[in-house]
Amino acid sequence: MKKGLNTKDVVEVLKRIAKRIEENKDYITELDAILGDGDHWANMNMGYQKIVSIEDELLKLNLADLLKKIGMTLMSTIGGSSGVLYGVAFITAHKSLIDVDEIDELKIYEVLNSGLNAMMERGNAKPGDKTMIDTLYHGVKAYKESLDNKEKFETAINKMVKSAEEGMKSTKDMEAAKGRAFYRNDKGVGHIDPGAVTMYYQLEELAQYILM
Amino acid sequence: MKKIINHPDNVVSEMLMGLEKSNPDVVYFSEVEVIARKEKKTNKVGLVSGGGSGHEPAHAGYVGYGMLDAAVSGNVFASPSPDRVLKGIQEADTGAGVLLVIKNYSGDIMNFSMAKDLAEMEGLKVETVVVKDDVAVEDSTYSTGRRGIAGTVFVHKIAGAKAEKGASLKEVKETAQKTIKNVRSIGMAMTPCILPAIGKPGFNLDHNEVEIGMGIHGEPGVDRTNLKTAKEYAEIMVEKILADYDYSGSEIALMINGLGATPLMELYILNYEVTKILEDKGIKLYKTFVGNFMTSLEMSGCSITFLKLDDELKELLDFESKAPGLRV
Repeated sequence: MKKGLNTKDVVEVLKRIAKRIEENKDYITELDAILGDGDHWANMNMGYQKIVSIEDELLKLNLADLLKKIGMTLMSTIGGSSGVLYGVAFITAHKSLIDVDEIDELKIYEVLNSGLNAMMERGNAKPGDKTMIDTLYHGVKAYKESLDNKEKFETAINKMVKSAEEGMKSTKDMEAAKGRAFYRNDKGVGHIDPGAVTMYYQLEELAQYILM
Repeated sequence: MKKIINHPDNVVSEMLMGLEKSNPDVVYFSEVEVIARKEKKTNKVGLVSGGGSGHEPAHAGYVGYGMLDAAVSGNVFASPSPDRVLKGIQEADTGAGVLLVIKNYSGDIMNFSMAKDLAEMEGLKVETVVVKDDVAVEDSTYSTGRRGIAGTVFVHKIAGAKAEKGASLKEVKETAQKTIKNVRSIGMAMTPCILPAIGKPGFNLDHNEVEIGMGIHGEPGVDRTNLKTAKEYAEIMVEKILADYDYSGSEIALMINGLGATPLMELYILNYEVTKILEDKGIKLYKTFVGNFMTSLEMSGCSITFLKLDDELKELLDFESKAPGLRV
């Protein structure tokens, strides 16, 4: 169990996420072929592989600059809707880490929450629109409630992942209000949103690393 | 997958490098995937457009005298990021401001608006217009609304001519908006395309099926139907356009657009059928464009676009364009 995360830890989490995304090509592409245009995996994978390729440069940065660099890299490499949304999320979240040496319990909340708000604002999206917001929103909310109830760090992390997973799964029955699935006659009902899944992978990898 | 490529990751930059070699009037900026005009007038309104790659000649092929000043390419079918669009704006700016022509896709809207914010922070004057010509999708102020497809090319042509004639940013924007108000399109697909990074088709259609109202990224349409004759496709598609916008008694420009794998032979057959329907309905044809203008990689299928013209739009449509994608 980690108490907090420094630059090296964050880079390690990113590498694990990159691997997780790389391994799930077929599943994500299949989901996106149903709901969108089939390129979500390819773009996310390109973004995270780029992050892995600049590992040495990332390891030299303090936490705030690290998040900013990740945001800029994901934004310009992923492109599309996901790129700009992950970009603003990391870039906005970097402000929570100025002069901070370690991301502790509370900072995890601040980083995730400011990222979430930035995504909702730029994407003009809210929970229930059948997007990656559904995963992140429920994860952050559960984590905050757990912290407020003075539960153990480990419990809070576990609750975050569990709620994020529920949020992801809840996109299956939703009608899309955003993105390409909106154009389907059935608004994508019956299919999990691929963006919600890749968001879940990221939170789950973060959680697993912390709980290690 | 059979494609003439070196590596799926490099298709966009290598395509633009090849385009630059074929057109002495433009310059390519690597990393940001921007194609811009070499020669710049001062104080001309800059016109910038762009979007995901795979729609060639859109958008880089429309950079040239009489059309765009810069085009910004994203990955295949994915919107370009704000930093790339910002570079496009910077290259197009010659002191009179820049108009961004955006197709109505949530990714494009987000990336281009963020680029506008970044450019304004640098003191540049930027306006935007959003093209939403696809009648297959319902328009609504509460949702993403209808998509921007081949009608965008008419917006590039007309706004480009207006800017070339020395109009102000406000005037170019107004003319672009008038064009958007009067343009409607509908598409149909017969076979899917293969994204280079994925290697297999993004959707499936049975060998005896077509999809009406398909978007330019292969996103689902409104209706799946059995194979029909060219005459029947023309009837179905024209009817969908006319149900949305009343072109009766007007003079129009017509675009018969191929999605990448449809032979010109078939586009001309479709054009013949569409033209006959227009004659029957008393809709006057001013100018026709048949070819590949807004494609979807090697998807087979087509789209039909109508633009209602007035004297100003006719003059601007006839204005010279040296862009390789649409020479007038």
